[in-house]
Amino acid sequence: MIIPVRCFSCGKVVGNVYEIYRNRVDKGDDPGEVMDELGIDRYCCRRMLLAHTDLIDEVKKF
Amino acid sequence: MSERKAKLILSDANPTIANALRRVLIADVPTMAIEDVEFHLGTIAGREGDENEYESTTPLFDEIIAHRLGLVPVPTDLSLYNFKDECDTCDGEGCTNCTVIYSLNKKGPCTVYSGDLVPVGDTKSRVADELIPIVKLTKEQALLIYATAELGTSKDHGKWQPTSGVGYKYYPDIEVDKKCNQCGDCISKCPVNILEEKGKKIAVTDIEKCTLCNVCVKACPKDAITVKGLEDKFILSYDTDGSLSAEDVLKESLKILVEKFGNVAELVENLEEDSE
Ligand SMILES: [Zn+2]
Ligand SMILES: [Zn+2]
Repeated sequence: MIIPVRCFSCGKVVGNVYEIYRNRVDKGDDPGEVMDELGIDRYCCRRMLLAHTDLIDEVKKF
Repeated sequence: MSERKAKLILSDANPTIANALRRVLIADVPTMAIEDVEFHLGTIAGREGDENEYESTTPLFDEIIAHRLGLVPVPTDLSLYNFKDECDTCDGEGCTNCTVIYSLNKKGPCTVYSGDLVPVGDTKSRVADELIPIVKLTKEQALLIYATAELGTSKDHGKWQPTSGVGYKYYPDIEVDKKCNQCGDCISKCPVNILEEKGKKIAVTDIEKCTLCNVCVKACPKDAITVKGLEDKFILSYDTDGSLSAEDVLKESLKILVEKFGNVAELVENLEEDSE
């Protein structure tokens, strides 16, 4: 739907980097390297970004 | 140690002490977080010169927005704030010594960010991360909110947890004995790449990176490597969410630990008096 504010497992804030992450990955950067640079180190937080599907733009039309 | 990340070495310690510190860092250090959110319902008029009328509806339920706002880290000065229910100045009513009030007023189409929360009164309480998306609004939608932050601990809710990824490990110790024939199998197998050949010997480059995985021990055909963790030395590391700095969290947690042990000591003393 919309990126969760924090990681479900450890509680680190991941929402603040989502748009930066999305823009860079859409430009063709490697997701792993982008997350390394953004300081998303643990795999619990990495899956929050990696596995997220942003559906709010689809839903908000209705 | 940086603003939001800490890594420290505990010497002369034992697992009990390391774990006590870890648990206090997670569950007992208080921070501010938004606890109460009031939504304006019905239509919202546009600002001056804006003839449009906006509906106070959004793609997300109000409860979800309130929950998301609760998770946003709020900068905390622990010397300034009291717990709301223990506040002397207001008896739990809410005052400037125990709460921070934020307002948020946004009109679509737009994305509402955590940075749109404006603290009423002092500007020191502006949220630490301004780019957390809260909700998206479409044309003719608007959001008008008053939110109140108060002090709490993560025993009650995870939003009051100032730290994440709090963990410790035994300080690693790698020994390579005379049986080593410099075959290099361990160097290529080490998953964190901390072994290298240095003058016909296997040397360790960054011992603190070792995860005690024992892959090098298994890789060695001569059984020349031993990896063990030192029993009385630990590496403790954690992140903070920006509500408190890594240093402040540590100071506060130590203060709380001392307090807790003091309480136990007092109880034990009373126990002895009773049994006489
Ligand atoms: Zn995580
Ligand atoms: Zn008060």
